[in-house]
Amino acid sequence: MYGGGNTFEHIKSNGLENEDPEKLAQFEARIERGEKIEPNDWMPQLYRKQLIRMIEQHAHSEIIGALPEGTWITRAPGFKRKLALMAKVQDEVGHAQLLYSAAETLGKSREQMIDDLINGKSKYSNIFNYPAFTWADSCFISWLVDAGAIVNQLANARGSYGPYCRALDRICAEESFHLKYGHHCVIHMATGTEKQREMMQAAINRWWPPMMHFFGPSDKISVHSEILMRWKVKMGSNDDMRNQFLDMYVPKIWELGFTIPDENLRKNEVTGRWEYTEPDWEEFKRVINGDGPCNKERLAVRRTAEERGRWVREALLAPKTEYVAPLA
Amino acid sequence: MESLDPRVNRLNLSTTELTSKAPLDQLGTYEVFSQLKEDKPYFHVGPVHAPNCEMAFLFAKEQFSRRQTCTGLFVVETRNIKVSVFTEGEDTVYNYISNPGELANGNTESFELFHLKKRGKQHEYIGTIEASSAEVALSMVKSEFINDKPVYNIWIIKTSDIESSQDEDKIIWDTLPDKKFRDAIAYKAADKIKEFKERQ
Repeated sequence: MYGGGNTFEHIKSNGLENEDPEKLAQFEARIERGEKIEPNDWMPQLYRKQLIRMIEQHAHSEIIGALPEGTWITRAPGFKRKLALMAKVQDEVGHAQLLYSAAETLGKSREQMIDDLINGKSKYSNIFNYPAFTWADSCFISWLVDAGAIVNQLANARGSYGPYCRALDRICAEESFHLKYGHHCVIHMATGTEKQREMMQAAINRWWPPMMHFFGPSDKISVHSEILMRWKVKMGSNDDMRNQFLDMYVPKIWELGFTIPDENLRKNEVTGRWEYTEPDWEEFKRVINGDGPCNKERLAVRRTAEERGRWVREALLAPKTEYVAPLA
Repeated sequence: MESLDPRVNRLNLSTTELTSKAPLDQLGTYEVFSQLKEDKPYFHVGPVHAPNCEMAFLFAKEQFSRRQTCTGLFVVETRNIKVSVFTEGEDTVYNYISNPGELANGNTESFELFHLKKRGKQHEYIGTIEASSAEVALSMVKSEFINDKPVYNIWIIKTSDIESSQDEDKIIWDTLPDKKFRDAIAYKAADKIKEFKERQ
């Protein structure tokens, strides 16, 4: 699971004038050749900073993303669904572990990242600030939010930073289970009773606007974003990712006889692009800045986990080991 | 909005203001290596953080071997891995390693050796060597393990620093084939969709 539409920092100067031009040229040539950048390689400050931000946001999204689904484990309909949902939630938390480690190789400690999550400084995917009212909401998340995540993650796995790509390869392999499981759940609802179909349709109606927000607002082409694309930090525009998602999944939703709450949604056969009502970006901004239905609760759950786990961490304090950045 | 999370609405979890936590969970760093099949080499799969070797092993087992197959796993503290220089292109690390001055003099220990054969990939086990120190081991590998293909980086680990699964531990992976519910293949539903469409 992963938050789309990374909020890249727009800084006035990209700082490149302070970088050694020769090293910068070698760095860019390596990326151009399709080689990965490894932790011990020289890299521009801007590259390091943006990758930390991006991988950290991704890791937080996995942790927070496990919460809305995690609450449905106890109420999952039947043993098989419970088993699958537990496995999925375990995967999501495992993904966060892999991603935090990848970010750590760039020099930010795990402690600092967890701190920045619970003190509200770091962002995570906005979609997890919405509530999962019914089992059908949980099905929507498993299938379609994960599908959106996979679109982003497959693109990012072709990026330039070695440790992030290797983490994403492992993650994508596990996500294929999430996607199939989620689709299976939705098909079950779609082919079930009238009441089940209604529940599923209501969940689609609730989640469609945040799903459209998921990939982020249209990104304006700036010098900054051009550099990040050239360095293979950003692998495609938010609109491209959204279009790819719509192309792959809208037909699958329609196939099950459901409707999507946007009368303007259609594929333009001439351009090959999907047309839709412009999502409400004011709401997106409001929610990402803390005023969503679940922001406070999501962070409170994390903070409480930290507080309640405190005695465990105290008991485990072991001066015989040492924290260092992972090697690769 | 009233919470939908049982942890919140049943356990009275507070939603007051957020504070930073005390610096407590910055545990030690370990690198994890795994073997997928008996005849395959061990390779580096990633790091974990843990308070000691034993817990690092347990965490690594959950994190890196909960699917498909696994026949062996070991962990080692990151700070105990000796890392050579890095090279690229046709340049091999062995160009920068001098031949051993003095070979095994008296007490030797065994060291495990790992090669990085492709940039962007992970380190792979190549062999074990007896030497008096990691530095001597590094100079000895040149004569023993060099081949035509370039090696971009070498990791050397003292065997005694490793916490590894033993033959009798392998039963911990015996149940992996039963956990089909973790795999995409267990969720086929094409028939159900087809039947649904026919009913329409």
